Amino acid sequence: MSNDIAFLAEFSDGAPTRSAQELAAGAAELAGAGGGVVALAYGPGAGGAAVLGAAGASRAIVLGDDTSPAVVHAAAAAAAVREVKPLALLAPATPNGRDLAAVLVGLLGLPAFGPVRAVRIEGGRVRTEQATLQGTVITVSEPTDEAQQPAIVLVLPSTFTLLEGGSGSAAVAEAPAADAGPLGAARVVESHPAEAAVANLEEASVIIAGGRGVGSADGFAPLHELAEALGGAVGASRAAADAGWVPYQLQIGQTGKVVKPALYVGCGISGAIQHRVGMQTAENVLAINKDPDAPIGEFADLFVVGDLFTIVPKLTAEIRRRKGR
Amino acid sequence: MVCIKQVPATTAEKRYTADLRLDRAAAEAVINPLDEYAIEQALRLQESGAVESVGYLSMGPDQAGEALRRALAMGGDDATLVTDPVLAGADAWATARVLAAALDKLAPDVALMGMASDDARGSLVPGAVAALRGVPLLSYGSELHIEGASARVRRLTADGYDIIEAPLPVVASVTDQVGEPRYASLKGIMAAKRKPMETWSLADIGLSADDLHGSALTRVVEARKPEVKPPTERVEGVGADEAVTRIADWLAQRKLI
Repeated sequence: MSNDIAFLAEFSDGAPTRSAQELAAGAAELAGAGGGVVALAYGPGAGGAAVLGAAGASRAIVLGDDTSPAVVHAAAAAAAVREVKPLALLAPATPNGRDLAAVLVGLLGLPAFGPVRAVRIEGGRVRTEQATLQGTVITVSEPTDEAQQPAIVLVLPSTFTLLEGGSGSAAVAEAPAADAGPLGAARVVESHPAEAAVANLEEASVIIAGGRGVGSADGFAPLHELAEALGGAVGASRAAADAGWVPYQLQIGQTGKVVKPALYVGCGISGAIQHRVGMQTAENVLAINKDPDAPIGEFADLFVVGDLFTIVPKLTAEIRRRKGR
Repeated sequence: MVCIKQVPATTAEKRYTADLRLDRAAAEAVINPLDEYAIEQALRLQESGAVESVGYLSMGPDQAGEALRRALAMGGDDATLVTDPVLAGADAWATARVLAAALDKLAPDVALMGMASDDARGSLVPGAVAALRGVPLLSYGSELHIEGASARVRRLTADGYDIIEAPLPVVASVTDQVGEPRYASLKGIMAAKRKPMETWSLADIGLSADDLHGSALTRVVEARKPEVKPPTERVEGVGADEAVTRIADWLAQRKLI
């Protein structure tokens, strides 16, 4: 038993992802003065996990510096968790983060929460806050008295704020030796990277999303212009991804990315519940749609009824004009 | 073996009981929509001859048998329902223990699941079941293939996709990219009535209430309605220039430009 807080630190392209940095800051906040902040790092670049020190981590255990699915490191992760015995383990609500969290729940018999939108420690006990049933109910949960440590907590993007002006490096250790076991038997047999770089929506603070109303791949051009003017990225609804107008990595929603940007602009997106659960916690929601009855008009902050192909280019020009002033 | 969950319909009004559990009896129930993609994937594998039989497994109250019947109407051979009063309020860990114990008895080559449930949305059960059964996990497949003694999924990466392979038996989960789920035909609905369905209690799969610490390692201590957002500001029936000025002013007010 300890008051340490551990977190799963996902690396990509040789650097910690935004989720890793957010969870480092969150773990530091929860650990307070009394506990250590331990990163369990995986993904390409995880060997350089010392850099997480600046994000809030005190120690880092490297599970694997490679592109394999994170779940193959299950045995090493379980051994590390047994050794550290943290109060809580925060995991990003990404496919790899969820899988690794899930196998720890199975291997170690642990209470699991999430994806949560808030987590705190009250009287030495983990308490989480979660939107369930498509956001219609908020529940607050905690481990039962019989539950072992740690509580496994899936955390949505932007739940924690990045640490500012952090410095120093985390003490890095290799994962304790463990037989990879059956979960280690999955392996990548083919890898097909995209020809062009694909934006990581989870890192974007402004997202311009297009839906069925955009009509074609070319129809996304004005959205890209607006995204550039606002310093943001382009996302999409499932309808637009299914139509092949954008790659699936840009899909926002229940079966795509869950995002929480400062500004979300929905263009030609009706706002079906499956899309809504992926963006409803955005701080500011602007929707542009020809259909005055589109469901997004009921939960956007600003709903503009009109033709996106007229409005979006004019808006881009106006933003550039005001920014240039 | 496709694991399915009965969930409240997306449009149904949800309520919590006095002990802060979802009142499942009060809501219209359906097969978890993402599980229908797992069913579709399994049936396609059966049609192509890659697997011999397709069965369904569900844990839930008696009425979850309706979800299994509906799955059988889409296709497949048989179904098993694990139901026990103890299981009300089961969390991800307890659900995984029950499914893993039932799967140990059923011993399928592939235990297939949807990528998430509509109500809980943790996506934790496939991985926890794989860990408990001691088999590889192939998750978030946009395609699933079975060839000889191994299974493969196509899985999205940050900017492309990978093909991931593991030896059978496996636990796999698939996304909504595997193909649109079929509708049950009238013939299918009639045929489903004659397909075998077994009902197992916790004891039938060798577990007791003690093994499950009640039914969860987590408990809900509070359930409430989300904060009410301020009403939507509408811009309607104005020219494009006016609309653009209003949007830009709104962005400026909120310090977004």
